[in-house]
Amino acid sequence: MIRSDKVRALFAAPYLSWAVIFIVVPLLMVFWYGFTDGAGRLSLANIAIITRPEYLKSLGLSMALSLVSTLLCLLIAYPLCLILTEKKTGRAAVIVLLFILPMWMNTLLRTMAWQTILEKTGILNTILRFLHLPSIYIINKPQAIVIGMVYNFLPYMVLPLYNALAKIDDSVIHAAHDLGADRRQTFLRVVLPLSVPGIVSGVTMVFIPALTTFVISQMLGGNKILLIGNIIEQEFTQAYDWNLGSGLSIILMIFIILNMVIEAALDRAPEK
Amino acid sequence: MTKFLKRVYIFLIVFFMYAPIAVMVVQSFNRSKSRGHWGGFTTQWYLSMFGDRSIMAALRNTLSIAFLSSLIATVISVLACLAIVQMKRRTRRAVMGVTNIPMLNADIVTGISMMLLFLSFGLKFGYGSILIAHITFNIPYVILSIMPRLTALDKSYFEAALDLGASPVRAFFRVVLPELMPGVISGMLMAFTMSIDDFIITHFTKGAGVDTLSTKIYTEVRKGIKPEMYALSTLIFVVILILLLLLNGSRSKAGRKKAPGGRSILEIAPAAFLVAGLAVSACSLTACGSAGEEAGAEASESNVVYVYNWGEYIDPDVIELFEEETGIRVVYDEFETNEIMYPRVAAGASRYDLVCPSDYMIQKMIQNQLLQPLDWMLLPNASGYIGEKYMAQARSFDPGNRYSVPYCWGTVGILYNKTLVDPEDDMESWDILWNPRYKDDILMQDSVRDAFMVALIRNGADSNTTDPAELEAALSSLMEEKPLVQAYVIDEVRDKMIAGEAAIGVIYSGEALYTQEENPDLEYVIPREGTNLWIDGWVIPAGAEHVENAHRFLDFLCRPEIALMNFDYIYYSTPNEGAHALIEDEEVRNSPVLFPELSQYDNLQTFTYLGEAMDRYYNDLWIRLKSY
Repeated sequence: MIRSDKVRALFAAPYLSWAVIFIVVPLLMVFWYGFTDGAGRLSLANIAIITRPEYLKSLGLSMALSLVSTLLCLLIAYPLCLILTEKKTGRAAVIVLLFILPMWMNTLLRTMAWQTILEKTGILNTILRFLHLPSIYIINKPQAIVIGMVYNFLPYMVLPLYNALAKIDDSVIHAAHDLGADRRQTFLRVVLPLSVPGIVSGVTMVFIPALTTFVISQMLGGNKILLIGNIIEQEFTQAYDWNLGSGLSIILMIFIILNMVIEAALDRAPEK
Repeated sequence: MTKFLKRVYIFLIVFFMYAPIAVMVVQSFNRSKSRGHWGGFTTQWYLSMFGDRSIMAALRNTLSIAFLSSLIATVISVLACLAIVQMKRRTRRAVMGVTNIPMLNADIVTGISMMLLFLSFGLKFGYGSILIAHITFNIPYVILSIMPRLTALDKSYFEAALDLGASPVRAFFRVVLPELMPGVISGMLMAFTMSIDDFIITHFTKGAGVDTLSTKIYTEVRKGIKPEMYALSTLIFVVILILLLLLNGSRSKAGRKKAPGGRSILEIAPAAFLVAGLAVSACSLTACGSAGEEAGAEASESNVVYVYNWGEYIDPDVIELFEEETGIRVVYDEFETNEIMYPRVAAGASRYDLVCPSDYMIQKMIQNQLLQPLDWMLLPNASGYIGEKYMAQARSFDPGNRYSVPYCWGTVGILYNKTLVDPEDDMESWDILWNPRYKDDILMQDSVRDAFMVALIRNGADSNTTDPAELEAALSSLMEEKPLVQAYVIDEVRDKMIAGEAAIGVIYSGEALYTQEENPDLEYVIPREGTNLWIDGWVIPAGAEHVENAHRFLDFLCRPEIALMNFDYIYYSTPNEGAHALIEDEEVRNSPVLFPELSQYDNLQTFTYLGEAMDRYYNDLWIRLKSY
């Protein structure tokens, strides 16, 4: 389209320079701090610290909670998206929009609202007491954090999953039926495989923010539950140890790179 | 039947998504400022929010940053896409790989990496740094939404236009751009939404006196969220909701057939943008007066003072009075803990002129040469009215009173709810925090020195000890206590105790009187083993640019009637004896909670700075406790 190389370079220049200065250089700085000590000498201590039991425990807890949340999001979102794609009318689109709409309400306030709901003297327990039912104490426990994660990140699962399912051509499903597949077979052999890209991108979009959150655990965990995100946040804003904070950030990036590799592999498969 | 079940399923999920929003809407009509407590119906917050300068400024920042960042990101992205699509396969893959980074990377890592960039290159944190960060994380959303359309675009259209005599520019605007438009707009809308909703990246890249709604709310979470915030959020939500309903209505009337799925988002996007644009302009119009003032003041940069203070630690009217009297504009910013404040001042990335740290932190800043000596000649009110006993106490961390003027002081003690504790229990000892009867009913301080102080003093050690054996013993005591603790909190202890959420809380004396007024069942005691006596004082950083203004503001705060205004607002004990004498309510003036007779106690300890190695050690202890 653009015939001249010069024009093309001119068009690419703003973005490429932006990307180098504000994406690549900052990441290199994280690596620089992560692999040096306070005096600027090369060191692996900031990475190796993860093997200490207290750090390992919070990384493990972060992974466990984010895996459970991701799985819950998938289990909740999949049937929902199947139902939504059935009605291929404007109404389904409105319902999808219903999942974007809450994002206009501030995340922190919405998470705070869960505290008001789940507290010992909160709304849920007030209702339960009114009905003479036993109270539920999950605030400041891992369960509350999982609720917060599922709540905050469910839209990130619904949207890509819905898009993937909506893309499946009806005729493919009809063809499966015509060829004698029952509903279960159609789902397992046709719909599910075709929705894999949506599942992968949904899982990524839920797992990573859940793995690294520090706000949800702070608000719903009563600061009693230390996730890896909380440690990193504390290293930067309180302990003033950029080296250690950067080292732990690099460990988080390993998961992200892993994820990219998996996605790239899946991406290549249907192409060829 | 299945249809019914499907409906129920959708309903349950929508209920789950909207229940918290309903809670917030209800709270916006709650007369009580306390979160867990219904004080009757009111619409007053919807009016008072427009008068709240800081909320309006945060709203303006949020909207204008979202608008500008999505717009700039879109322009950069459209150009980039046109170039990327023509790149060789390998280059394209590399560029797209980099593009994906901000989306795939954890927000916390993106935020930190940008913070490191700005700090290392000495760039000032402020509106600009937030804007740059938002543009950076917005670009990928726009590029990824344009690329599929561009690759699907038939090149021959463009070439046909050229063959028919159109210039390349004309051909682009008339042929290519309209084809890309849905992708451009949905990308821009996504970017706009992401920018509005972002907290983490803004948290790490914000600077002095600049807040978005998210960062403002984060600061407020600890002190209790202002009801105006709920009112504002409800209003924003209702506007967007009405907009969507209107669009949906007009669309069904038109009865157009449309593709399933995403399409409707694209149709709504332009209107949403229009509204956002209108909202931004409306905001700047309503705030016209203050905006104009600020623009004017920006011109005379010297007539400013940058103040960095604890959250809710000054009467906003005091700032206005000072501005009116002197014509000096106050750029005011808040921090939650000393540890959060320190790196910001140490890095010099935010140019504060007057900061209010606590005792041990003042000592640390003096040792690290971050402060400049005060000119006491410019502080007649400070030398005239700050009580000598407080100046003497302050000499423990600021020898010779060279660097700081005490602002507030107090003790740390136990607040308990008379109806929730056994009257037989001894509430005047720290031991009560280890009583298993109060499992899940205890609120501990979420700050490392305060928490360890409790354990150290209970174990009979000094709260400034550097003996590893004593600290390890304190750690095991705190680990033993942790299963009994409901939550580690800072200022949230206030709301939670008022609401009766816990029976016992560790609290600063200044909060005690306020909580007692809201809930008469609460009682404050200073444990007999002793406790911490803390002093927060004003200091001027070494790199301050408006030293004279800083002195003027500081001395203004020391005037008895001004100090009294602040006392009435924040309710923390004032060391200003002129103000103390002016307190009308005798009960308050002689309150043993707020103004205990210091000579009666011989076991009140003020924190001192223990050195960098101990900081690190304390931090390790803290992580071990929290992950226990």
